[in-house]
Amino acid sequence: MTTLSSTARSVLRKKSSASRFLRAFPWKTAALLSLFGSALLSPLGRAQGDPPRTIDVGSLPATVVDEVVIPVPTEVFGVLDKLGSPNWHEVLRPVKIENLGKRPQVALLLGVTIAEGFIAVEAQEPEEVKKIGRQVLTLSKAIGVQKSVISRTQSIIEAADKKDWKTIRLEFDGASKDVKQAMIELEDAQLAQLVSLGGWLRGTEALTQVVTKNYTKDGAELLHQPAIIDFFERKLDELNPRLKSSPIVKKIARQLPELRKLIEPAGSITPQKVEKIHTMTAELVKAISSQE
Amino acid sequence: MKTIVTFTFGLLLLLCSAHATVDDALSYALQAAHPYIKEGFTVREDYWGGDLPVKQQKAIVQQLFKGNEYWFWMGTDVANAKISVHIYDAEGRLAEVESWNNKPRMAAARVVPKVSGSYYLIVEIVKSPLERTHWALAYGFR
Repeated sequence: MTTLSSTARSVLRKKSSASRFLRAFPWKTAALLSLFGSALLSPLGRAQGDPPRTIDVGSLPATVVDEVVIPVPTEVFGVLDKLGSPNWHEVLRPVKIENLGKRPQVALLLGVTIAEGFIAVEAQEPEEVKKIGRQVLTLSKAIGVQKSVISRTQSIIEAADKKDWKTIRLEFDGASKDVKQAMIELEDAQLAQLVSLGGWLRGTEALTQVVTKNYTKDGAELLHQPAIIDFFERKLDELNPRLKSSPIVKKIARQLPELRKLIEPAGSITPQKVEKIHTMTAELVKAISSQE
Repeated sequence: MKTIVTFTFGLLLLLCSAHATVDDALSYALQAAHPYIKEGFTVREDYWGGDLPVKQQKAIVQQLFKGNEYWFWMGTDVANAKISVHIYDAEGRLAEVESWNNKPRMAAARVVPKVSGSYYLIVEIVKSPLERTHWALAYGFR
């Protein structure tokens, strides 16, 4: 707009009859007013360089990153804390590790255990946190990635002694990331997805337990997680035949489409649906924990 | 044999260099996050990263929860690059309550979700002296 005004001005200056008028005309003010006016009059009412107000999600103007960052349980638990005062002691469940199964089951159980760590933090149970920290190390060792979490678990135990809950949350999040990274480095990226899946299932089980006890629409809507279920369905479908044939993986793969149906459409998650999701996720977590 | 060793070494060097630059980009994203940690935001350990040519966008689908507040921080290792990040809801409406990209090597956007569900994060290298520019995106919530 400023460029056009300058061009117009240079042409007009050639006309001698207009020269006096041109000199007297407040060009700067006119240019500013013109810019301001065009911003007000534009259909979106936005200045040049602002992002578009809407995009077509059916045909995104960009390639889509395949990876979805799975929320840590704290992201959900924090909202539940704001909505009420859940009894996290009731939700906390001691994790027992006996007779570890095959690698897919161990990876899933590692995810479940890390999620349990977040619940122990909510319940502010330092001894349980320490126990869980040690179990994370044991499970990591069973799939050959213990080196990646030694310092994390040490830090969890030290922070539990100080009841430094913020640090413990960060360390559990870090432990989850580090074991997954170590698996990727060991060319076991598919196993890494199972850690995330185990954590998500236990987190969802805990969420539904709290919401079942004290139903609120906002609490139930926390279950509306289509992108995450789609992501896990996709990742399970891409697993190599060896991992795909694992009974526990097959069981979860069968249940995910059912869970997906229960969370749609947004705003429709009734107490009955919450209870159903709780039953399904609790059964899956039990199966993971007992090598069913 | 010598050629294979040289090639492998070169490839390793290239891979290390690519990794280092995404790490550098992440360090700027985390630098952008720093003031907000003091305001109570918890920064996630996971992040997204890669490289992009100028004016090409990348979309990230992310689950956000109503009741939380989120900041997304983007960084790049390229000194004269200008980058941007914006957030859209599942219907494709601009959802961020504020955003900025007027600091060197950094951009950020904040969202207070009105509903729990999927959101689209659109990242872009607005301008850069390089053909491809490394970027990283981290997020925090409270």
